[in-house]
Amino acid sequence: MTTVLSVRDATKIFGGQTALDHVSIDVQPGEVRALVGQNGCGKSTLIKILAGFHEPEPGTSVTVGGEELAFSNATASESVGLRFVHQDLGLVANLDAVDNMAIGQGYITGPTKTISWKKERAAAREALLELGYDINVRMPVGALAMSERTAVAIARAMSTRGSETRMLILDEPTANLPAAEAQRLYKLVRGVADRGIAVLFVSHHFDEVFEMADSVTVLRDAKHIITRPVEGLTEEELIELVVGRKIEEHVTDADAREHGKPVIELKGLAGAAVHGLDLTVHAGEVVGIAGITGSGREEVAALVFGGHDRGGEVIVNGEALPQCRPDISIERGIALVPAERHANASLMDQTLRENITIVNPSAHMSMGFLRRSSERSDVNEWLDKLDVRPRNSEYTMAQLSGGNQQKVVIARWMRQEPSVLILDEPTQGVDVGAKADIHRLVDEAAAQGTAVLVASTDHEELVRVCDRVIIMRRGKAVDVLKGATLTNDNITAASIGRDSSDSAA
Amino acid sequence: MSEVQAAPRRRINLGFDRFSGLYVWAVLIIVFSLWIPDLFLQVSTLKQILSFQAIAAMVALGLIIPVAAGAFDLTVAGTVSVSVCFTAWALANHHGVIVAAVGSLILGLIIGLVNSVVVVKLKVDSFIGTLGMSSILIAVAYAITQNSQIVLSVEGYGPFLDFARGQFLGLPYTVYYAAVIALIMWWVLEYTPGGRYLYAVGGNPVAARLAGVRIGRVTTIAFVTSGLVAAFAGIALEATIGTATPNVGDGYLLPAFSAVFLGATQIRPGRVNVLGTLVAIFLLATGVSGLQLAGAPSYVTNLFNGVALIVAVALAVRTASRRK
Repeated sequence: MTTVLSVRDATKIFGGQTALDHVSIDVQPGEVRALVGQNGCGKSTLIKILAGFHEPEPGTSVTVGGEELAFSNATASESVGLRFVHQDLGLVANLDAVDNMAIGQGYITGPTKTISWKKERAAAREALLELGYDINVRMPVGALAMSERTAVAIARAMSTRGSETRMLILDEPTANLPAAEAQRLYKLVRGVADRGIAVLFVSHHFDEVFEMADSVTVLRDAKHIITRPVEGLTEEELIELVVGRKIEEHVTDADAREHGKPVIELKGLAGAAVHGLDLTVHAGEVVGIAGITGSGREEVAALVFGGHDRGGEVIVNGEALPQCRPDISIERGIALVPAERHANASLMDQTLRENITIVNPSAHMSMGFLRRSSERSDVNEWLDKLDVRPRNSEYTMAQLSGGNQQKVVIARWMRQEPSVLILDEPTQGVDVGAKADIHRLVDEAAAQGTAVLVASTDHEELVRVCDRVIIMRRGKAVDVLKGATLTNDNITAASIGRDSSDSAA
Repeated sequence: MSEVQAAPRRRINLGFDRFSGLYVWAVLIIVFSLWIPDLFLQVSTLKQILSFQAIAAMVALGLIIPVAAGAFDLTVAGTVSVSVCFTAWALANHHGVIVAAVGSLILGLIIGLVNSVVVVKLKVDSFIGTLGMSSILIAVAYAITQNSQIVLSVEGYGPFLDFARGQFLGLPYTVYYAAVIALIMWWVLEYTPGGRYLYAVGGNPVAARLAGVRIGRVTTIAFVTSGLVAAFAGIALEATIGTATPNVGDGYLLPAFSAVFLGATQIRPGRVNVLGTLVAIFLLATGVSGLQLAGAPSYVTNLFNGVALIVAVALAVRTASRRK
């Protein structure tokens, strides 16, 4: 067996900052390797060097199947047999799988240069069947389930014509997948590896590391820390390797926490996917919402806050909340940290200061002028409190890593001292360290009497922060887990349809 | 706190990116001073540049507001025409200066409101919506003037014409109006919550809305502002030239947009801003008048404006991508 990928002394310096420091790794055929580390540890840089996007420093050498890789050349990366699937998948949502797979590598054409749709479709279907997915290849990919979309992207990468596929490289393959769909993808990846193809994937989700990977490489502060088999590794050990310190075990004791009066009540909440949700959250209580995509979980936060048209009533501190008026929601003390911060929360080209004070900038008006110095000291206080790095209010949002951007969005809302805090996928694409910080902030907010509602596909997160978790299926709340029944497995089981013991009784 | 970071470090930076316009401006002045010192190095040249650009500067300054909020307002030129024609018509028909001026401003306000209904309520893309409105405004201007030229004689309308032609410290009043508008816009954009909301809506309307910004209202205010400023510029223009033709405003469309976009590469790169826009206007005007004084043909104005805009924005794109 020859080594598929061999990286030697990979180094990359960006403007004096070392992003990757003499990293060497080897991957064997059929091996599934996880690449983990905090945001900014160098894993994306390494992937981008492999993809021909970054030119590494001299002294770096990469061979694929014995062939030397020419740097800074995406075509060269492809011709030695590397295949990439990026986190956003790069699919065109309104085109079907056939078109998506043909784009970029050319259609199969007949003698008159017209597209042979029959052959093209057959090829697409076959490529997907090989991955274990039997889907309608003529449906726009936007209408497919998330894991099916990922499968289309993988099939496209693997079916690249012109060179043999030696290695599949995935960036956060299950980042946005509900547990059940993630399981399907694990199987797919195992199948690819069984064909002798090496797989390298970047991940923040440790469950996928343990479920999918044979071995794991940890990077920290641009350096290679360890490469070892997953077998015999515990989650605590892995976290410690990634963070470089121990993260203290947190135990939520739901019964010990005192809850105050009801702060927010949902009565028959309805939207496109939610069909009648009743829920009350008390002061100081953290309530989670779990469910697969399509269950309505993904819509609750926006419906409550007024992001979308809604049916039913939302009552905050005894007063009904008008719909579709985020400004009024904010006045009444509601805060929403929405999912997908790039689309829904970030002002990428604006400074951290402007991002944080965009809600209620008037607080810093005096004599008709917004006072930057007072703004800056307010903002710096929050950057300190949330340990945002770099701690500089004048950086633009685009200059920060994902985890730090999320902290800035959270700072924006914590600054309002809300009485209701709604978090939608609060730690999406966030590294372990930042995740722990964000969870600690949720604890603190609850301790100060804030009613917190968390919608998340990350079940461990729900177990970690919530007092109780509402399970949604087909737009309705079907189950409640709390205390001893609130476990990772129970949430998964309940969301995919196996009723937990209490509701069966 | 595990790590205390030093206060924001200031690198010594000559600012070739942020202040490139100022450097180019200086180079232009030096070049023309050496090339045609007798013609260029005159106080009259400076005065001429300032007074010729005052109206264009006003239109551009008003336009900054909708562009900051991510909306194109192509009606600024049509609004200038309508305002010029209405002012002239009202005066020529002896309705008095108050009716002429207030009426023009009300027309500017109405144009802004209609634009915002089209863009916010009817959800027509601002580029297309204001393009359609521009065509309508041309029709309005022709209707007002009955397809002919209105001339206000100096004898009959002296006091009105003095509104623009009157001088203070050797400069026509229009220069001061432009300066006051610039100050107001600068204050709004840099030092009020309204400015933050405009930039937030322009940057990411979804995020702005979820942060409680009322994007419909912000967009409406933006269109009304540019409409009012363009109408005011129209009154000043009429007082400057004393005649009204229905297409008089057309020439202000491209310079205004050029100045705003060129200005977005200056001072605060990546966002439209007042100081950058002013630099752009006077940079272009200096280049053009220098070339004209040196004997270049009159088409050089448009040629120079177009080339300068493309080169400046291309350079800005390059520096921005290098920074990433």
